[in-house]
Amino acid sequence: MRHTLLAAALAASTFLLGTVAHADQLADIKKKGELVVGVLGTDEPATFVDPKTRQIVGYEVDLVNAIAKKIGVKPVLKQIAVAARIPELQQGHVDLVAAGLTHNKEREAQIDFSLTTFVTGQKAIVKKDSGITDIPQLGGKKVLTIRGGTQEPNIRKAVPTAEVVTFDTSQQAFQALQQGKGVGYVDDEAALLRSYAKLGPAKAQYVVLKQNLSTEALAIGIKKGESGLKAVVDDTLRELEKSGEAQKIFVKWYGPDTASGFQTRDFKFESDKID
Amino acid sequence: MPLFDYSLLLTGKYHDMLVAGLLLSLQLLAASLVLALPIALVVALLRLSPLAPLRWLGFAYVESIRNIPLLAHMLFWYFGAPELLPDGIKQWLYAGHIEAYSAIVALALYTAAFMAEDIRSGIRAIPTVQFEAGRALGFGFLDTMRRVVLPQALRITVPPLISQTLSLWKNTSIATVIGVAELMYQAGQVESATFRSFESFAFASAAYLSVSLAITGLATWYHHRFPVRTI
Repeated sequence: MRHTLLAAALAASTFLLGTVAHADQLADIKKKGELVVGVLGTDEPATFVDPKTRQIVGYEVDLVNAIAKKIGVKPVLKQIAVAARIPELQQGHVDLVAAGLTHNKEREAQIDFSLTTFVTGQKAIVKKDSGITDIPQLGGKKVLTIRGGTQEPNIRKAVPTAEVVTFDTSQQAFQALQQGKGVGYVDDEAALLRSYAKLGPAKAQYVVLKQNLSTEALAIGIKKGESGLKAVVDDTLRELEKSGEAQKIFVKWYGPDTASGFQTRDFKFESDKID
Repeated sequence: MPLFDYSLLLTGKYHDMLVAGLLLSLQLLAASLVLALPIALVVALLRLSPLAPLRWLGFAYVESIRNIPLLAHMLFWYFGAPELLPDGIKQWLYAGHIEAYSAIVALALYTAAFMAEDIRSGIRAIPTVQFEAGRALGFGFLDTMRRVVLPQALRITVPPLISQTLSLWKNTSIATVIGVAELMYQAGQVESATFRSFESFAFASAAYLSVSLAITGLATWYHHRFPVRTI
């Protein structure tokens, strides 16, 4: 979601430098006996380090484990930076990328995507006493968000007159909201609800606006042209959906009892197409 | 797809964004410089003061500011300091361009610490007999400084001060971290919107380079026009 630009720039330069032709990647994975997956490891609850076991766990990890099991190899998680996601994949340092990767048209030219594994809307949160109840009311006001991702262009599209101020991290932007340096804060729904949950008793002073600014489809990234690998990834996801396992994994990490507090799962693992 | 698309830089929305960024960067430079110079002079005089507590105060200012990265100063003046103000002032400030104000304060105080040291060195380069002569004529500390020492010292000090201005110009780019829409920020925005990294950062680099070269040129010109008099 974040740093699409840097990732794209790095990916473009990688492309220019030329990539080595590769044999069938699925065969290679089976031969070496492990599936190497690039994850963020800092993106709770998608992939993060469990403080007790020091292992990387999360929603995306559960999906990756299922894929590795289906292929019959050992999953190996490799932590990578946001900007390195696409280059690492293209250079073959990782077999898959499960790292909060937004599936968009620009990136389709560079890599392939699995079925959509998560759909998140971008939302705005405002202070209750601002009297704002609807996205268009943010017009002419200062709105805070993170830099480099899809949040900012999406606000500008939704509310062209908003004065957008961006920060390096979501924590900084959210801090600025708490200090009253802007009336609204925009982020992906899951991340936003998590920040909201951290407010504790102060939550009462804030409102998460119902309307979405946009929707984003997240998916697992696969190196371009590796149809064998893509088929097995997609099959695994379809099977998880059919068996009801997908629903269970969602509830485990994002459900009503978690900090994310999603009441329902509004998407299914069924398509790798985006609008 | 052309490799380098000049049209993006010459006209249109992205051109306007980059130019707006450049103008804001120049404004940051001007405002910070105007604030920094008098602060620097005061701090330099504090460090040379005959009174120990004042000397100590000047020393504390210079060392505490110089030894903390500018990035930390920016974050402090944006996230920390305004929170200490009374509610009314705070809300008034936050409604306005708090990002730019915080950046100017951080840049001015930071630059002043370095400039103070340059001014102090300049003053110390003037033989003490000049100072003593001033005192012997019946001038006080400040009057001796103003009438005898500073006019000679500032001439020595101008080239290093111009060099600090060069640093200040480049340092304005750090204001990006607190959301000030200056040149680096706008270059990032244009990149993010268009994926045209080369073009947007080429514009930013060229702009930084031209202004920097102009400042360097000014230093060289001053050096020729007003050479340091051998004392």
